[in-house]
Amino acid sequence: MLESLQHLFAGFGVATTTVNLTYCLIGAIVGTLVGVLPGLGPIAGIALLIPATFGLSPTTALIMLAGIYYGAMYGGSTTSILLNVPGETASVITCIDGYRMAQKGRAGAALAICAIGSFIAGTLAIFGMVFLAPPLAEAALAFGPAEYFSLMVCGFVVLSNVTGGSIVKSLMMAVVGLIIGTVGLDPVTGDARFTFGTTYLLGGIEFVAVAIGLFGIGEILSNVGKPQAALDQSVTVPRLKELYPSLQDLKQSIGAILRGAGIGFGVGLVPGPAPVIATYASYMVEKKTSRHPETFGHGAVEGVAGPEAANNAACQSAFIPLFVLGIPFAPPTAILLGALLIHGVVPGPMMISEHPEVFWGVIASMYIGNFILLLLNLPFVPLFANILRIPKRVLLPLVMVFCITGMYTVNNSIPDIWVMLLFGVIGYTMRIGGFEGAPLLLALVLGPKLEVAFRQALMISHGDFGVFLSRPISAFFLAATFLFLCVPLVRAAARRWQARANPA
Amino acid sequence: MSKKIVLSLVILTLLVIPAAAPAAFPEKEVQIIVPYAAGGATDLIFRALAESTSRYLGKAVVIVNRPGGGGTVGFTEGAQAKPDGYTLTAVITPVTILPHQVKTAFTYKSFAPIINVVDDPSMFLVKADSPWKTTKEFVDYARKNPGMITVGNSGAGGGVHLVALAFEKAVGARFNHIPFAGGGPSVTALMGGHINAVSVSPPEGIAQVKAGKLRIIALFADERFELFPNVPTVKEQGIPFSMGMWRGLAAPKGTPADVVKTLHDAFRKGMEDPAFKKNAHDMSVKLFYLGPQAFEKRMAEDDQYFAKLVAEMRK
Amino acid sequence: MNPQGREAIGGIILFLFGGATLALSLGMPIGNFRAAGTGLFPMILGILLMTLSGLFLAGLVAAKRKSPSAPPAVPAEPPFGRQWAMFMGATVLAVALFGTLGFPLTVFLLMALLLRSLGMRKWGGVALLSLATALSAYVLFVKILKIPLPAGLPGL
Repeated sequence: MLESLQHLFAGFGVATTTVNLTYCLIGAIVGTLVGVLPGLGPIAGIALLIPATFGLSPTTALIMLAGIYYGAMYGGSTTSILLNVPGETASVITCIDGYRMAQKGRAGAALAICAIGSFIAGTLAIFGMVFLAPPLAEAALAFGPAEYFSLMVCGFVVLSNVTGGSIVKSLMMAVVGLIIGTVGLDPVTGDARFTFGTTYLLGGIEFVAVAIGLFGIGEILSNVGKPQAALDQSVTVPRLKELYPSLQDLKQSIGAILRGAGIGFGVGLVPGPAPVIATYASYMVEKKTSRHPETFGHGAVEGVAGPEAANNAACQSAFIPLFVLGIPFAPPTAILLGALLIHGVVPGPMMISEHPEVFWGVIASMYIGNFILLLLNLPFVPLFANILRIPKRVLLPLVMVFCITGMYTVNNSIPDIWVMLLFGVIGYTMRIGGFEGAPLLLALVLGPKLEVAFRQALMISHGDFGVFLSRPISAFFLAATFLFLCVPLVRAAARRWQARANPA
Repeated sequence: MSKKIVLSLVILTLLVIPAAAPAAFPEKEVQIIVPYAAGGATDLIFRALAESTSRYLGKAVVIVNRPGGGGTVGFTEGAQAKPDGYTLTAVITPVTILPHQVKTAFTYKSFAPIINVVDDPSMFLVKADSPWKTTKEFVDYARKNPGMITVGNSGAGGGVHLVALAFEKAVGARFNHIPFAGGGPSVTALMGGHINAVSVSPPEGIAQVKAGKLRIIALFADERFELFPNVPTVKEQGIPFSMGMWRGLAAPKGTPADVVKTLHDAFRKGMEDPAFKKNAHDMSVKLFYLGPQAFEKRMAEDDQYFAKLVAEMRK
Repeated sequence: MNPQGREAIGGIILFLFGGATLALSLGMPIGNFRAAGTGLFPMILGILLMTLSGLFLAGLVAAKRKSPSAPPAVPAEPPFGRQWAMFMGATVLAVALFGTLGFPLTVFLLMALLLRSLGMRKWGGVALLSLATALSAYVLFVKILKIPLPAGLPGL
């Protein structure tokens, strides 16, 4: 451990050179911009800037690109809170309570809590990385197809009803999400499913289109029909003293932030869309541990602080498998891997010994980067909050323009925009009927992976279903799911039995 | 009111004029469709090439990822793009294989080849502590226990999957093929011990072999891999099998010949750029230039080879 | 239409959707669990959705019989109407023209049409805001971030 600290100090030496600091700042700014704009995500941001790094040293290049990645996470919550448009796939959950807070004039508080929470979580996660990286990475390897399947079933069941309300309605939405996820090419056999002969659908339905459509466009549409008087108003006019969080807010949030950081750090180690799952999990945990769960969905600050912290922590811990094993677990880290390779640094077991200055330099710059982002984001909070002063008549078209532009930048595809608009209308009709979008999105993310893992596991075991129970990690998650489903039923039955035994 | 209309019209006309003036190719940026996920083998090499070629072409060269179906999605889009030289496609060996496996909207003939960039060997990797020490041991075990050895690949119908299928046919064995969503997950599964072996093409898995965690158990190439000179090819060991993966660039069929020539010359210079060569070396990728005619010939040969191979495998 | 009515319609739509999924998936190879076919998973999902929506609708009917005037669990009906249609129509038009017009012009057109559909009266204000939006979007996305966006006919 002492040796790690020594290396870390050396890393700080590397990270604080003028060149590296400058590029860290550039990365952070670009990342925030990229995160704020809906649709444009870290993948596009990093990929676009790789060519710009070719003349730089590997350490500097990686510092800048990594800055874009976690910078995007800071920025992604901004549009979620202000406009109910998820700036990032992982910011969907933030929309739920964040937007409500904004509507109550507390946008500034929400934005600031996001920045603070992300900073604390990011810093904690980096500590975790430094001291726990190698053993954790090895642990992540123990997850094979059977374990993934069970983990995802557990996550699916537990998190489907994250927003509360009727379980049946949430499950129905989740199944719809699963069905949408099957469109495209069957990952195992390569045959086309539900593509109706079009080439566009071969690639499946783009998650970002559904997310922005359901949440962002849906919100725009539900405001568009309002009478002129309503359109003259703005979403809200923030009051000066509400621009920053109160002491009460901070006290309430600190628990959420710490828990979120822990959850995010752990979940980030698992391959796949970890940040998204981490935010759902954190929201669920906060709701269950809160002393006043009925505030969730109406502007509970913990519902914003926890998920954002989890989001950021998951991003940081996603670097662990990349650096230690040399294997990227999610698209953004895959691109970072590519960038490293292009610069001649091969991440993996050899990286720490062959290129210590890259590894420790980048880690040290992550501390600095998180700090820079906090400094960048906090002063901008009033500026962003004041966007809400713009009368709806002007704001709504602006938001629509940005959603469309942002959507296009994901895949350079105009059909994606149509899908987004379609889901906007669907989201609007869902609201009329009282159906939630969050379970659908979670299912869309988890569904394809769930199916693949299931089939892979069975292929490896030659059709033996027992594999899910004979492997310890897999059995653990299935047992947890079973308990989760049974405990409420058992309790309800016990209560009824008691009531019958002592009629009052 | 009418003043505003006139003003708007004037502005619009001014905007349109630059487009009306004729200019030499390329007037704007060139896009390369990469039919595989960002960060994958194909994606990386073409990103590096795009960067170095931009300088020689005079305009930016941009990468657009269109993953899916072992390449089907990207190849389809590339084949149907406008043949004006602004939308190119990164074509790799599967473009000659896919049309024989499934009904596709393209064949290699839908493309006008420009240049071949890479020719990489394919290989099987196993964990360092795996019981099989040589190719022979591995193959013998596979023959005696059909369907027992699990071999991962980066996607059903993808290049390395086919290599695995062709290999098992060549040695008379049967593996249990497990598809994954890309090279990364398949190598991860091997590292975790969830599968016995994995079929890959560089740079997938190279880092782990260098670090000693994985071993090359079978090398499918005509020559030894310069990075690991101690590993014999399967040909050297008596199995007449070799199947590499080439990666090159093509434009849609019907692109004017002079446009193809301009692109070819620029990319050739990009390939010879010392910075690009260094990138390729660092990624353990073997550069192999082929001009349009030679590339087309190679594609035709492979197309015939795979037509036969797929038909045989179907029996 | 009252909230329960809307929920019921939602349930019916979902039931039909599940049925359609099931029907379509039966046209694909199902296989068995050892070697799952393409259609296996969607088939299971279709059946699942039909079951859930069936239960849901049954639950609604049962609730109605118990307490016919139960408080609505769904939000009040959001607005609809001519303004909404104009807004959507303008958006659809702009997206359809996106490829031909190119990015900056589409932004201009879209902003202008949307502002008008929401009732902004003054042409000058509309033109100014649309121009400002188009220009800043152009500078931000095309010039600073260098994102590939359609240039359209004008070639911007």
